[in-house]
Amino acid sequence: MILEISDFHAGYIRDANVLQGVDLSVRAGERLAIMGRNGMGKTLLVKSIMGLVRPSAGAIRFDGMAITGMPTHRISNLGVAYVPQGREIFADFTVLENLRLGIIGKPALRSESFDQVFEWFPILAERKSQRAGTMSGGQMQQLAIARALVGRPKLLLLDEPSEGIQPSIVHEIAVTLNRISADEALTVVVIEQNVEMVERLSERVLFLENGRIAEQANVHDLSEDPSVIERYLGV
Amino acid sequence: MTRLGLYTTIIFWLAMAMLPLVVRPWDLVMFSQLLIYGIAAMSLALIWGQGGLLCFGQALFFGVGAYVMALTGKGLIPGIAASAWLGLGLATLSGALVALLAGFALFFGQALRGPYFGIVTIAAAVIVERFATNWRYIGGYNGLLDIEPLSFALIWPGLDSAEPLAGYLTALLAAFAVFLLLNALVRSPFGTVLRGLRADEQRVASLGYSVGLWKTIAFCIGGGTAALSGALFAVQFSFVSPAVIGFAMSTEILIWAAVGGKEVLLAAMAGAAVVKYFEAVLSDAIGHYYLLVIGIIFIVVVVALPRGLLGRLFELPRPQRLRADGISGHTQKHRERADAAAPMEPRQPAPGKQEDGT
Repeated sequence: MILEISDFHAGYIRDANVLQGVDLSVRAGERLAIMGRNGMGKTLLVKSIMGLVRPSAGAIRFDGMAITGMPTHRISNLGVAYVPQGREIFADFTVLENLRLGIIGKPALRSESFDQVFEWFPILAERKSQRAGTMSGGQMQQLAIARALVGRPKLLLLDEPSEGIQPSIVHEIAVTLNRISADEALTVVVIEQNVEMVERLSERVLFLENGRIAEQANVHDLSEDPSVIERYLGV
Repeated sequence: MTRLGLYTTIIFWLAMAMLPLVVRPWDLVMFSQLLIYGIAAMSLALIWGQGGLLCFGQALFFGVGAYVMALTGKGLIPGIAASAWLGLGLATLSGALVALLAGFALFFGQALRGPYFGIVTIAAAVIVERFATNWRYIGGYNGLLDIEPLSFALIWPGLDSAEPLAGYLTALLAAFAVFLLLNALVRSPFGTVLRGLRADEQRVASLGYSVGLWKTIAFCIGGGTAALSGALFAVQFSFVSPAVIGFAMSTEILIWAAVGGKEVLLAAMAGAAVVKYFEAVLSDAIGHYYLLVIGIIFIVVVVALPRGLLGRLFELPRPQRLRADGISGHTQKHRERADAAAPMEPRQPAPGKQEDGT
């Protein structure tokens, strides 16, 4: 198991835990989606894995190592990459400078070229000297993913990558990520509400409700029986 | 991006180098002071303009440099020989060391951010000023007089930095060296990380950077630079007092950098000259009210021109490594290596950018 979370409790405010005993484990190379309504703690969960939020109880192990409470930069350097909600690229930087920032802090990768990510996301090669803030939402999302990938992570965390992006690009990103994960044995955990994205990208789906993992399903079963989606995402 | 900034930068330094040919010795002394203030403005431009650390206490480092220089020059530090040159080195190191300690205190653990950081730096500057005022050994309220000039006896017998031309050339050389060094830093990958920190610390941490460590390094470099300018100031004026270490001086440095343009080193540096010049003109014309006018100019510039008066004028073209054409050579080499390693699988070149540069 590359990622194991056990009896995990956390919240943004002390004594107000949103996550109340999350248990989950992810196999190396697996593509897992976590779904759930707004406010169920999905973002909190990935932020906790990344060390951006301090948990109140529970443990997270990555690649056999306890990372609970470890500073964010050390978790990143162990091989966890995070593409936050809203993309959060550096708007004033060019595409290239954004990508550079993905590797400057990793001395082993200093001399890395970006050929590989440019092959995955050709639009970035075309726009490499463009200011990132002037690109479309879909292009920024591809840049955010590419910036995470140039650091050669073992685990990629994505928080709502489809948000605010036109459907055709969502499809394209999902297919590309699926291919990268298969080719590079990259483990992907994606927080998502977009069913199309989940179906194209992931193999297994967990549903987060009231601070716990309420149910899990195989993606194929999901398309046959949409009632599960209805139950955890419907309003 | 235009090459305007490159030309204006070259013209600026050429003009500074030619200055002794056209101005009188007394004016040279004034220009030396402006260059020294300019170094302090660049030190703040590095940590504030690039790293986003709005430090209200930059004079703390400036003042430490000035006092260490004065004390060493006068032989008042036990166990250390009286030497102005030694003082210059020690002053710079002391500034960096104080910044290192401050960095560890401010950027690690419950790290202070944004306005809290600013408030603590104001408080630190005020405290140190009070401290210097009350410490007899370093002259207390009156400060220290008759500070040793830098000796150039090796070049010409009896020559030292008190001679206007020698003093000017010393300041010019120091300013130019600092400019080159800080510019190299800003244009290096280090600069990219600094600007990343300015935009969003958490994002930078998520990419694997120890935010506290990088901020502390930047703070040290800024502190050392400010201390160097303080040391040169002490030599130039031959006098230091608690005013150089406190709140008022910190604010002045801040105004120079903001008015000139904090994101461009040379703009911040020239900002010192612009502000000082207007101060002189205005105080002649309207007496003490000049402070009011300077304050209003400061507010207007900060609100209306976030890049300062000179930011656009002196902005240098983007470094080669971040321009597409600069990278393709590197990419090309990499591709060739990859092809050599796996000749059976020619890589699919990225569309649109196949063979540029070959």
